[in-house]
Amino acid sequence: MSELRVIGRDGSERRLEAFEGGAVMDTLRDAATGILGTCGGACSCGTCHVYVAPEWLDRLPAKGEDETMMLEAIGELVPLRAGSRLACQLPMTAALSGLVLEIAPEL
Amino acid sequence: MGDINLKMLLESKSLERAPFPIPTGWFFIGFSDSLAAGEMRNVHVLGQEWVLFRTESGKPGMSDPYCPHLGAHMGHGGKVCGEHLRCPFHHWEYDTAGWCKSIPYAKLTPPIIKKQAVLRTLPMVERYGMMWAWFHPACEAPSFELPYIPEMEDASGYAGTRRGSWTANTCIQEIAENGVDTAHLKFLHGAPIIPPVEASYDGPVMTLDIGRGYIVGKSYGPGLNVLRFTQHGVTATMISYTVPLTHDTTQMNMSFRHVDYAEGTPELQASKKIIDHMIGAAEGEESAGFESVDFIVWNNKKFRPNPLLCDGDGPILQFRKWFQQFYTDPGYVKV
Repeated sequence: MSELRVIGRDGSERRLEAFEGGAVMDTLRDAATGILGTCGGACSCGTCHVYVAPEWLDRLPAKGEDETMMLEAIGELVPLRAGSRLACQLPMTAALSGLVLEIAPEL
Repeated sequence: MGDINLKMLLESKSLERAPFPIPTGWFFIGFSDSLAAGEMRNVHVLGQEWVLFRTESGKPGMSDPYCPHLGAHMGHGGKVCGEHLRCPFHHWEYDTAGWCKSIPYAKLTPPIIKKQAVLRTLPMVERYGMMWAWFHPACEAPSFELPYIPEMEDASGYAGTRRGSWTANTCIQEIAENGVDTAHLKFLHGAPIIPPVEASYDGPVMTLDIGRGYIVGKSYGPGLNVLRFTQHGVTATMISYTVPLTHDTTQMNMSFRHVDYAEGTPELQASKKIIDHMIGAAEGEESAGFESVDFIVWNNKKFRPNPLLCDGDGPILQFRKWFQQFYTDPGYVKV
């Protein structure tokens, strides 16, 4: 069992049990963190924006073209940070157990 | 290729009538003046339903009916908005090339729609007063162009308003094969002799000469034939634009044109008689045009991939080999 450490939009911190095999987005969406994941992981809606803590960034897979385009567009609506990622593009693996992230503001 | 064997010839129950997919090519969709700017309608051709529309600026479009968003049929309740087809369900809009140009409520644009078309549309051109669509099963771009046809595009020199449509219950390949099957011209059509035929092939174009100059013409892919019939120095032209409705139902459409001879001249009369002769029975002619005799065969025959041919038959197998290029799935190579 893996774990996510999630800082919510209200600043509270939660530890979530994460099932490996899906995306980080799936755990966040099912735990009512405010992550919508409307498109189901197709990288077409931008509703799973999170800020990943700096110490975790080099352990994440690189951004693809669609994620980069989507984050650029998101940046016109809400602030971006170095750790801005779409949680649907982060596969939940044991190596990411303990990942610290913050839920970005609503669009 | 192997030897003919008796088992193959006796096994007719396993034969199919039209064992081919819809071929690749340019196909007639409708007459240009039948679709006004801003108009939209559903058409059943090329094995499926399509939404045919014309933008406000006059560009024709032909799209798969089902919206890539949530699957609404855009031909039922959708409309043309400026240069776009708009889905009735959530007002997503698409251009004639299938690019999504507007999602009226999304704050973010899905990246994929900035990069590529997401709705299947067919490339279209307008020639000869007609709308043409390019069909390729894997959506590849057109690989040849439609030709200049003086009889259709040089308005000053030619006349003739006669045209018609016929539906045959078989596929285009089976219909077109009759062009090289010269022996049937004597026995089915009643021609006095089996005329000599010369066929040559150059990419998607087949050139036919039947009866040493009597019928000379070209096929441009499976969807367009231009055949010129000449008798006693007078030439009339059959422009045939055939479109598959389904893989085994085909709409044959033809326009008949001739030199714009003056009213009352023997040349005009001769031109009209040649045209009568192309279609059906003509006065004073022994042989009959396609309408009277070909359909009974087309509508009931089966395709024999390994036919029993004899000397005197036309270049059937060469024709089939040429036609294979219009099928992209190598599984359909039967010859």
